[in-house]
Amino acid sequence: MNNVREFSWSVFFTWMILAVIGLIAIYSATQGPVSQFLAEYIQDNFFKQVVWVIVSLFALISIQFISPRAFIQLSYLAYGVGIILMILTLMFGTEINGAKSWLRIGPANLQPSELMKIATILAAANYLTSRRDISAENVRYALTAVVIILIPASLVFMQNDLGTALIFLSLIPVMLFWSGLPYGVSLFIISPAVIAYLAVIEWYYGLVAAILLTALIFFIQRRVWLTVTSFVTGFLTVSGVQVAMNQLLQPHQIARIAAFTNPNYDPTGAGWNVIQAKTAIGSGGLTGKGFLEGTQTQLKFLPEQWTDFIFCVIGEEFGFIGSTIVIMTFIFLFIRLLNMAGNHKHPFAQLVTVSFTSVYFIHFFINVGSASALLPVIGLPLPFISYGGSAFLTNTIMLAICLNMDFHKREFSIYR
Amino acid sequence: MSISQSNRTRTSIRALQVIMIGMMLVVLGRVFYLQIIEYDVYAALGQENSVRQEYVDAARGLIYDRDGRLIVDNEPIYSITITPSLFDNDKLPLLADILNVSDSLLTARVQEAQRYSWYRTSRLITEIDFDRFSAIQENLWQLPGIGHQIESKRHYPTDINGSHLFGYLREASEAEYQNSDRLKLGDKVGKSGLEMIYEDTLRGDDGVKYLRVNALGQAISNFEDTTLSQPPVQGTDIYTTIDTELQVLAEELMEGKKGALVAMDPKTGGILAMVSAPDYDLQKLAGRLDTDYWQAINADTLTPLYNRAISGRQPPGSTFKPIMGLIGLHLGFIDSTTTVYNSGAYMRGRPYRDTAPIGDYNLEKAIANSSNTFFFSLMDQIATNGYLNEWSSLVKDLGVGVSNPIDLPYASNGIVPDSTYLNRVFGENRWGVGDIMSMGIGQGLLSLSPLQVAQMTSVIANGGYRVKPHIVKASRMPSGRVVEKNPELHQVGWITDENLGVIKAGMRKVVSEGPSRYYTNNPEVPTAGKTGTAQNPHGRDHGWFTSFAPYDDPQIVVSVLIENGGYGSISAAPVAAVLIEKYIEGEISRNYVYNYVLNFVSRPTDSELIDNE
Repeated sequence: MNNVREFSWSVFFTWMILAVIGLIAIYSATQGPVSQFLAEYIQDNFFKQVVWVIVSLFALISIQFISPRAFIQLSYLAYGVGIILMILTLMFGTEINGAKSWLRIGPANLQPSELMKIATILAAANYLTSRRDISAENVRYALTAVVIILIPASLVFMQNDLGTALIFLSLIPVMLFWSGLPYGVSLFIISPAVIAYLAVIEWYYGLVAAILLTALIFFIQRRVWLTVTSFVTGFLTVSGVQVAMNQLLQPHQIARIAAFTNPNYDPTGAGWNVIQAKTAIGSGGLTGKGFLEGTQTQLKFLPEQWTDFIFCVIGEEFGFIGSTIVIMTFIFLFIRLLNMAGNHKHPFAQLVTVSFTSVYFIHFFINVGSASALLPVIGLPLPFISYGGSAFLTNTIMLAICLNMDFHKREFSIYR
Repeated sequence: MSISQSNRTRTSIRALQVIMIGMMLVVLGRVFYLQIIEYDVYAALGQENSVRQEYVDAARGLIYDRDGRLIVDNEPIYSITITPSLFDNDKLPLLADILNVSDSLLTARVQEAQRYSWYRTSRLITEIDFDRFSAIQENLWQLPGIGHQIESKRHYPTDINGSHLFGYLREASEAEYQNSDRLKLGDKVGKSGLEMIYEDTLRGDDGVKYLRVNALGQAISNFEDTTLSQPPVQGTDIYTTIDTELQVLAEELMEGKKGALVAMDPKTGGILAMVSAPDYDLQKLAGRLDTDYWQAINADTLTPLYNRAISGRQPPGSTFKPIMGLIGLHLGFIDSTTTVYNSGAYMRGRPYRDTAPIGDYNLEKAIANSSNTFFFSLMDQIATNGYLNEWSSLVKDLGVGVSNPIDLPYASNGIVPDSTYLNRVFGENRWGVGDIMSMGIGQGLLSLSPLQVAQMTSVIANGGYRVKPHIVKASRMPSGRVVEKNPELHQVGWITDENLGVIKAGMRKVVSEGPSRYYTNNPEVPTAGKTGTAQNPHGRDHGWFTSFAPYDDPQIVVSVLIENGGYGSISAAPVAAVLIEKYIEGEISRNYVYNYVLNFVSRPTDSELIDNE
């Protein structure tokens, strides 16, 4: 057994801080004066979350006693079981808020797509790091890894959980990049997302981005075929967005997209959530309105304020100081985790740690970005803070695996 | 692991850290922008969001009768409102069930509200009963977008219909609420009657209340900062001179007839009862507008919205003869002993008919038997001697033919012609003595409203003192302070008691000995009066009767006009007689008169000769 001093206590305490912040915010969002407008099962969310935090704490501790090699050995099995669970969910699952993502097991509603994130990352990482010569030039390996990720991604998509499907897709550039995919190609893979985002706001923003990204890719990679492909892809993305906005999408879908660029366009319609969220955060000011004192929160102006809009609760009741503490805590966590990855000698541990960190980061960025109207509203929870048992447990297990691999990194050295 | 691999790892970690921290700083910057730089914007927005300003309608002032009995008050009505954008259409069956209306009706209403505005709150259903209102309140939590409000409407607790007295309320027009700082969209204002004249008095000042609301628009509590709220100031109550029992009886007596009735206290000018027939059902205009009914009374050829008692103008006919007598005595063309022989017609270029029995007439007898000859002769002298304008001004001294406004809208001044007026109507000097003579018996261009006939009668009854007719005698401020209005009393200088005695004696005989005596001669209540017939070129003549009682100490003046009623002695006089008996005696013992009046039917056309009564 290793010396407990080598355990990354700072990351562990960061986890605890975030969990406590989450419980405070969930308490305010479901047990505060607002509870009179909430259904009873939603009021119970706070107590359910307390139970999940305790369960997760046990999981976190227990995982520290496992050999890190187990993650490699069990990765394909976990992946297979996960896929079966996902298919079962599609067949027998419970639908909540339009997404058929929950599987009822005993007293708990389990969200297999959350746990599937772990299994997918472990399996793809195992596949990509068990061969020495994986690089972007070896298209066959890269494509196999993409398929490993795309299978669960499409199952999640079929469950109608767009946000989580997006997380799976974002794993592709992250994991391929880490496995030796050239910078330029990695940039090329993510460029359509950036271009599309800007093209929604104004088509020429998208075009400018396409040109700049193409130029950047050319300077990094200096490959003509990649540069041309990049430019064509960028151009097609801008055109595609234009066609979708003007021809394909239904008026209400366009309204939802337009509302994010200009919420005042339809204040009580599609823009309602955006305006209420911005108002909640903005009216918090420097110090906030105080615990259980936020009018936007307690008078239920915020939709889904215990999950997708939990950051608004913090922003409103604890102000800029509270928001900054949350953001800084996450920044600390991400820096620490990436440093951990950098210290790993074993590529599996590196890839898994980086992938997990990326998953946290994308959740964080999309959640807070949505709440502060930087991004269109995409329903994703804020890691460790939003209500959601499966998500909290999954996030904790991911962190526990990172901690475990860091704690036991010498065992990896021996194995390798 | 190769060196390059290790280098790449280190660079990649740095790159990732830079990208992540960079993006998180963007988020932090965004939050800084919202919370620190734009704080003022969103703080205000947050306030507006959770605090709703609501108007608290001030209770409209109440109206009391002369004895302090409540005759107009307010009644709460319960309305259900909808904000279509927040409404969940799946809840429609539930809502229909609670309101006990059909789904299709409710769907139509919801669509109507949606057409009005998707985001603004509008009334879904008004005037629902209290049980349904409570049921809605209990279920508000599962009916997003549905709200409720309590409004009030006018309520008339007595049997008085009073459509022309009280008047109706309607929503203020756009011009009205834009020119007023007290009115807002949807407020109701008085559009006729006392409600219109006393609009500013009766209307209180709406209060403002700040409520905390949630996203569903449900009120949570009053806003803490109560200094911002303003309590409503209720309207001023008004005390009228109306005698409830008399008014109810008057309305009953005038039902089914066309015409008007004014009962007045001759000593103060206070209106005891006033009816214009046909009238309309005020209650039906009180709450939600019954469009069919509103259109029906507007289109009715009998013009029920028109107040004949003050706006109508008819030749006063022979009811004007007592005034003629007074003027003749004052100007010295006659004295109490002057006699004029009636040969069946008065000759002045052509014969002017007189159906009174042939013989000699002094003034008293001329009034009692309504001889035209006597007054043709008098008016002839007035005209021939150039006293037309003097005559006109003397008549106007009684407060008729000039503005002497009662506190009701659209009162007519009446017409008492002078040379200027005749020049205008007929053209310069294109009128002759004949046009003037017909005015001597209350015909021709002379025309007065029933109120003015009562007004001139009250001068006789009141010993030569002129009053100002009015309905409101006092008002009570919200503070409780009562402001009494002093009745205006003016002595008409040229009227002497001696001259009045002759006139009153003649009027007494009209009642006790004239053709109406069967109805009017009540031994218990000595009454004086004068019948009249207004010539009507369009159909049967209009019957007039004006009277006062008791003879020695007049308490009441009653003037009645029955349009197309023929002789005033058989149409108008019985109505006045019943009212006087009721007012002086407190009850009606002469049921045969009462029943006669109830069964009296005016015929619109009848080829009857113009007669003098």
